[in-house]
Amino acid sequence: MALVEIEVPSRTAYVGVVRLALSALARSAGLDEDVVDDLKIAVSEACANAVLANEDADGDVPVTVAWTETDDGIVVEVGDRGPIHDPRPDEEVDSQGFSTRSVLSFSLLSALAADCSRTPREGGGMSTQMSFPRPG
Amino acid sequence: MELGIDVRNVESCAVVDVKGEIDVYTAPKLREKLIELVSEGSYNVVVNLEGVDFLDSTGLGVLVGALKRVKAHDGSLALVCTQDKILKIFKITGLTKVFPIHDSIDEATAAASG
Repeated sequence: MALVEIEVPSRTAYVGVVRLALSALARSAGLDEDVVDDLKIAVSEACANAVLANEDADGDVPVTVAWTETDDGIVVEVGDRGPIHDPRPDEEVDSQGFSTRSVLSFSLLSALAADCSRTPREGGGMSTQMSFPRPG
Repeated sequence: MELGIDVRNVESCAVVDVKGEIDVYTAPKLREKLIELVSEGSYNVVVNLEGVDFLDSTGLGVLVGALKRVKAHDGSLALVCTQDKILKIFKITGLTKVFPIHDSIDEATAAASG
């Protein structure tokens, strides 16, 4: 079981850095290319949400990313120290009925990760856990 | 990470060729360009996503925002995209019902010119 942990500053410029690092890890772990594409999007959404949550909390704290390889696949966990937040799609549309960014983001997260859950972290903030399958 | 944005006029449309990755960091650049186009009077806009490798929810939000701006002037915003990995993003979020998505710029500008 391999574990890689990354901490990046809570700035949007670093979301692409995490995306690049994790897509390289996913390829070296032997994930199918379409799963790598799904992982890139899901991880980017989780990281962007974490950066925006930390900005809301106005704290100079990093976003943490943990990558774990198991026999079944990959588990990625993204942590922030922002407010506890659980979007409800039917309540998050604008005046013209369009989904807000956070709803679009959580639609992508839940569709592209094999499993996705969000839980409060010890010490404050939220953690998003996502899993991705290995081929076969 | 750079986002390339070029604008040209085709028929009566402003065609915006986007190249690179549209994410939470780069999307504001696209938002500014689209706001600028509408404020200059371009109400029929075609966004060409054929050179885009990556698109996230912030990018989708920018496109939705631009659609609302052109609609306020009875205009249109169409997309050009044939890449499965990008089309998948629109399908998952239900936005294929919101944006006309075409296979080519010719098709998109012809549809906008009516």
